[in-house]
Amino acid sequence: MFRKKNTAGVNSNEIRAILNEKKTKMKLSLKACAHCSLCAESCFLFMGHNKDPKYMPSYKFLHSVGVLYKKKGNVDKQDLGEMRDLVWERCVLCTRCYCPIGIDIPDMLALARRVCRSQGVYPQYDRE
Amino acid sequence: MALSHIFSWTFVYDFIRGPMVWIAFIIFFCGVVFQVLRFMSLLKEQPIKKLTPGPGHFIYTRTASHLPMDRGKTGWFKKGWFTKGPDKKDPNKKDWRVWLTLSIAGVNPFMTVVTTIFHVLLIGLPVFVLGHNILLDNAFGVSMVSLPENVSDFLTGVVIFCALIFLFRRLFLDRVKIITSCADYLFLSLAAAPFVTGYLAYHQVFSNYKLLISLHILSGELMLMAVPFTKFMHMIYMIMVRFNVAGEYSFGNASKNW
Repeated sequence: MFRKKNTAGVNSNEIRAILNEKKTKMKLSLKACAHCSLCAESCFLFMGHNKDPKYMPSYKFLHSVGVLYKKKGNVDKQDLGEMRDLVWERCVLCTRCYCPIGIDIPDMLALARRVCRSQGVYPQYDRE
Repeated sequence: MALSHIFSWTFVYDFIRGPMVWIAFIIFFCGVVFQVLRFMSLLKEQPIKKLTPGPGHFIYTRTASHLPMDRGKTGWFKKGWFTKGPDKKDPNKKDWRVWLTLSIAGVNPFMTVVTTIFHVLLIGLPVFVLGHNILLDNAFGVSMVSLPENVSDFLTGVVIFCALIFLFRRLFLDRVKIITSCADYLFLSLAAAPFVTGYLAYHQVFSNYKLLISLHILSGELMLMAVPFTKFMHMIYMIMVRFNVAGEYSFGNASKNW
């Protein structure tokens, strides 16, 4: 839980610049999320993975964009690696997720992807 | 004013049922206005290219109820009105059975019912409680219609029951547990506290009625003050976003973006 950060290879300033572009919208959205889990069934990957909670749209954005804003962009490669799994492997950005409150979940996950991509953390299918 | 007087029970009681009420309402209304203006400043008109069917440009309107199409003058909730069955005369209208099955009410009916009852009563019930209306009448000479005491007592029980369902979901349902933080328990307690204390005070469960009613007033004030600045903000956010921001799930002719 409390591990030493190894921020080598991560440009926190660049991450912060990306986060600041949509700061107001993202922070309002994160605050407005009531953690109700009603978005779960709108994700076909959640339904297709035996309703594994780790595929819930809310879980995905809280543990990607939520972490980025909470840590103010001070993340290391391990954090970004965990986010990579969430935003690429567990989400295909089909934009079908539904929030009863009206939170724009795909926009949040797209932002997390952008942050990861800016730091060279993305799937490289030709090498993996 | 002596320090002992400030910390005396009478002073605290008078404060939370007097100036504190005003402070809570002012913070609540100013906070809501601030957040609404903030939202409106973030939203901008989205130039949407309206889709128009024409030669070589066929739009199957039955599945395009969410798309920006020129449907003439439509009001809130009328983004493609409903019809009774699949044999529709007007292709702009949705089949309500399909719509219901696919909606959150069809997918998760139990939670839809519980959460609707909870939120409607949370906002509506305090307005129609006899005790509150008597206070209003005493203070300003005006009051709302009051519910009979046994009805409001029953409905308070319903709110507490709904809050307990939320609590059990948070404690025992994996999908909710995994995204639950301490703040969620705190705000759930804060939302339920005015109802629990009001219920206990009304039934005089504990001998110290004055303490319970003070806690009832205080928790209500805290909740009001928390609405614009905490997780309770979803009350404002939901209305602002779904009625203004263009999208598949927006209500009415929402045409803005942010």
